[in-house]
Amino acid sequence: MLSENEAKILFFLKDLKRTNSIEISTKIGIPESSVLSLIELLREKGYVKTEIISEKYYVLTEEGRKRKESGLPEDILINSLNGQEKDLNEIKNTLDEDFNIAISWAKRKGLIEIKEGKVIPKVKTYTSPEYLALSNLEKADINTINLLKKRGLIEEKERKIVNVELVKEPKESEIGISNLTREMIVSGEWKKYKLRKYNVEAFPPYYTISKKHYFREFLEKVKDIMISLGFKEINTGYIEMEFYNFDLLFQPQDHPAREIHDSFSVEGLGNIEDKELLSNVKEIHEKFWKYEWKQDITLRLMLRSQTTATTARVLASRPKAPQKVFTLGKVFRPDAIDATHLIEFHQLDGVIIDDNFTFRELLGVLKEIFYRLGIKEIKFKPAYFPFTEPSVEAYGYLEKLGWVEMCGAGLLRPEILSSVRIDSIAGAWGIGIERLAMSFLNISDIRLLYSNNIEYIRDMKVKIE
Amino acid sequence: MVTIVLNKYKLLDKIHIGQQKLEDLLFNLKSEVKPIDENNIEIEINADRLDLLSSDGIARAIKGLLEKELGEAKYNVTDTEYTLIVDNVRTRPYALAAVVYNAKIDLEELIQFQEKLHGTIGRKRKKVAIGIHDLRKVDSKTIEYKEVPLSYKFVPLYGNKELTISEILEKTEQGKLYGNISIANGVSPAIVQDDGEVLSIPPIINSNKTRLNENTKDFFIDVTGTSFEAVAQTLDIIVSNLAEAGGTIGRVKVLKSTNSSQLSSPLLLHRIQNVREEYVKKILGIKTSKEEICKHVMRMRMNCDIENGAIRVTVPQYRVDILNEIDVVEDIAISIGYNNLEPSKYISTNYGSYDYMTLLERKIRELGIGAGFVEISNFVLIKDEKLFSNKYVKILNPITEEYNAVRDSLIPGLLDFLSKNQHAKFPIRVFETGDVVVYDSSTDTGFRNDKRAAYAIMNNKVSYEEIQAPIHYILKSLGLEVNYKEENNNIFIEGRSASIFYENEKMGVIGEVNPDVLIRFGIEYPAVIAELYISEIGKRLINQR
Repeated sequence: MLSENEAKILFFLKDLKRTNSIEISTKIGIPESSVLSLIELLREKGYVKTEIISEKYYVLTEEGRKRKESGLPEDILINSLNGQEKDLNEIKNTLDEDFNIAISWAKRKGLIEIKEGKVIPKVKTYTSPEYLALSNLEKADINTINLLKKRGLIEEKERKIVNVELVKEPKESEIGISNLTREMIVSGEWKKYKLRKYNVEAFPPYYTISKKHYFREFLEKVKDIMISLGFKEINTGYIEMEFYNFDLLFQPQDHPAREIHDSFSVEGLGNIEDKELLSNVKEIHEKFWKYEWKQDITLRLMLRSQTTATTARVLASRPKAPQKVFTLGKVFRPDAIDATHLIEFHQLDGVIIDDNFTFRELLGVLKEIFYRLGIKEIKFKPAYFPFTEPSVEAYGYLEKLGWVEMCGAGLLRPEILSSVRIDSIAGAWGIGIERLAMSFLNISDIRLLYSNNIEYIRDMKVKIE
Repeated sequence: MVTIVLNKYKLLDKIHIGQQKLEDLLFNLKSEVKPIDENNIEIEINADRLDLLSSDGIARAIKGLLEKELGEAKYNVTDTEYTLIVDNVRTRPYALAAVVYNAKIDLEELIQFQEKLHGTIGRKRKKVAIGIHDLRKVDSKTIEYKEVPLSYKFVPLYGNKELTISEILEKTEQGKLYGNISIANGVSPAIVQDDGEVLSIPPIINSNKTRLNENTKDFFIDVTGTSFEAVAQTLDIIVSNLAEAGGTIGRVKVLKSTNSSQLSSPLLLHRIQNVREEYVKKILGIKTSKEEICKHVMRMRMNCDIENGAIRVTVPQYRVDILNEIDVVEDIAISIGYNNLEPSKYISTNYGSYDYMTLLERKIRELGIGAGFVEISNFVLIKDEKLFSNKYVKILNPITEEYNAVRDSLIPGLLDFLSKNQHAKFPIRVFETGDVVVYDSSTDTGFRNDKRAAYAIMNNKVSYEEIQAPIHYILKSLGLEVNYKEENNNIFIEGRSASIFYENEKMGVIGEVNPDVLIRFGIEYPAVIAELYISEIGKRLINQR
């Protein structure tokens, strides 16, 4: 098998039969160093015979290049005198540093005489043979070359030249090519050649592959499950009033969770147009929790600490039953950040408002959500949340971790429903998503869900589900 | 969630069951058990079941589930000669007291019980504070609750010399922790004997005089606070649990010095809660009968009668969590056992629907991948110094300076990401979609979430077109023929930055990052960035549908 460049050399040789490496390089346009190794390959393959010879050649020195440009000093001297005598001093000024060289070579060549401080030329013009040789070193006779060497205008070098002789004619079918071109395909020329083999078992160079983020994909999967269960998606903002995060959800204002370090506060107050709703909530709080409910507390701004705030906003819009809505979004809670805690994480909250909804149906919905997430075994535990009664926590069985708490849920308290004039029964739940994602993605450190290491993200295996 | 630590053997001994059974029963009472060491267990109690904060309360509840005792627990109650005179105490006006005789207690557990009540119903002693004294060390039958000057002296609990209240505030742990709750106008609330000797300065500390020890059997209990109901409930819970430990509850006469009202405490408040059979069936979705309902109520240690076809539940003093009919329904469900309630088969009869923004975000994410960007996911919270605008949301109580603000653009997060990946294989091409928070005076909070997408490329050499081309064709794929207007800001290099417009509305920004900014983020390579306003784009696309 012949490479394209090997083939080029052989075809060049086909006409000439013999040539040398320098000629090949200049005619074909391949660097001399490459030519030498290509010839060696061809010799090994038995196409050519070679003979390596050393050749002396000359190159101009720095000074040689200068003289080739502007002439030799004695030439300049003679031509500037133009047959006239001149004072040595005057000549010294014009020739400057070349003065000595010009005078001595002109004298040595018998071109001038020096008398009483004056230079007397013997010829009117002069061009030295050395100067002519500088432009045409190959044609120069040996004496001139020696003279140039002596004057330091050229230096001798040696190079390897390979004489090449064709011993075996190449066949076109032996020529391999690396790259197909459009021309080859269109002209049918490709048929003449062989496509070279590669080392196909070698590993490829690095390649960046774009992919969706593993955790984002999990979040989208959760949304898909909720849609498939017939829920409508809604979203509300991160900045929330305590009213929707707490008060409407029957959490008293003097509850320890309201203290500054259990949620993130933001400067400013919100505004609630629905005065009836405000007074209903106030009434219920004061009746059941027995304290003085304050409007300026309820309007305080915070980063929502639960997506149940979104559910609260749904309730505040006084929806007509039946309703099935969900939200999946970020919530914020002050905590020490470590392998299992972040200060921001996702929650899935859902609510069903229906005349005939029951606690058993709530358990059924939860079971179905977890079943579709891939958790087949689930058990329920009584729980406490201010806004639900009965309240329940669901535990799912995970292969590696055993029983893990998955969510909090319950039927919304009648006090809440009455404050928004809903006569039906409503069930609601909140599911922390990060912990579920960790177990499904097989990640042991929650911070890796938000990794800022691109190699980790690039290397993450894609889940097919 | 509140946790208490109990001696396992003492608890098991009270109810005569094995540990596994205990754990199962407690699980169904909303509680979880974790072993601590050979002798002790930690139990998680839910904040509503204050009656379960001591081993006696737990024993009472478990005896019901085991049907060893049904209905309300019966305790001995007797009158005493003790009187509490309640003066006008401005910072915490309510006070009640009780006496308990002959209760067998575990001192450590009693102190824990008191502390857990302080933390829950007491709202860290702000709403309610409890003082428990050795009755035999109380010298007078008349006790006064009144304001005393800060120069008043007594030996505080575990102290060995007299201190003034001022000194207690300065020098003791409790003084520093709780002093600010009740001290005002140069006076402190105090429980004092009729000879003026201090028994306690609520909510700060008791006097060493009436200190409890392992052998204390008779107790004087004072409860003070800012809510009469909470004070009464707290006292009821404490005396009930001490009575469960064999004690006899002693009534104290409470006189208000400012008027002639008189009552005796503990109140041992009982409430009648009617429960409708149909309601129970409707809520739980089960078949049942009045008799069965009553049986479950009794198992939960409440009395239950059927009178003229109506179910009457008597809520005892220790069940302060029962506010309404629905709370009884939950107790019935707990008695049945949640896992005995078969979940209904879920049948969806309607189609769900995505938020339009979710659908748009998904398409934009797909186009980002198609354009060769790797998706990343950053935090919403960020260090304010990294933000470029000055109209961001600042957190008033950040937990760390690293996250003390809410991002108002995705660009700072991307730059942060680039700075951490300078040793990764180049080129770095990443994008993120997500919410930022911006001011919006038209909303009820004054803020609004804004959905964005941002793209960045970092390489040894990058140019404006390298980012402009993919962004242009992402937008074109969405059907938006946009144009670019040179617009300079403090993120990008002057003359190499534009705003992206569609029908004269700004849809995003794009440009080569200013070296000053790169240096600020510790980035040593050139980078180009674009940010798209998905919320704006979404508005256009919805209008065009």
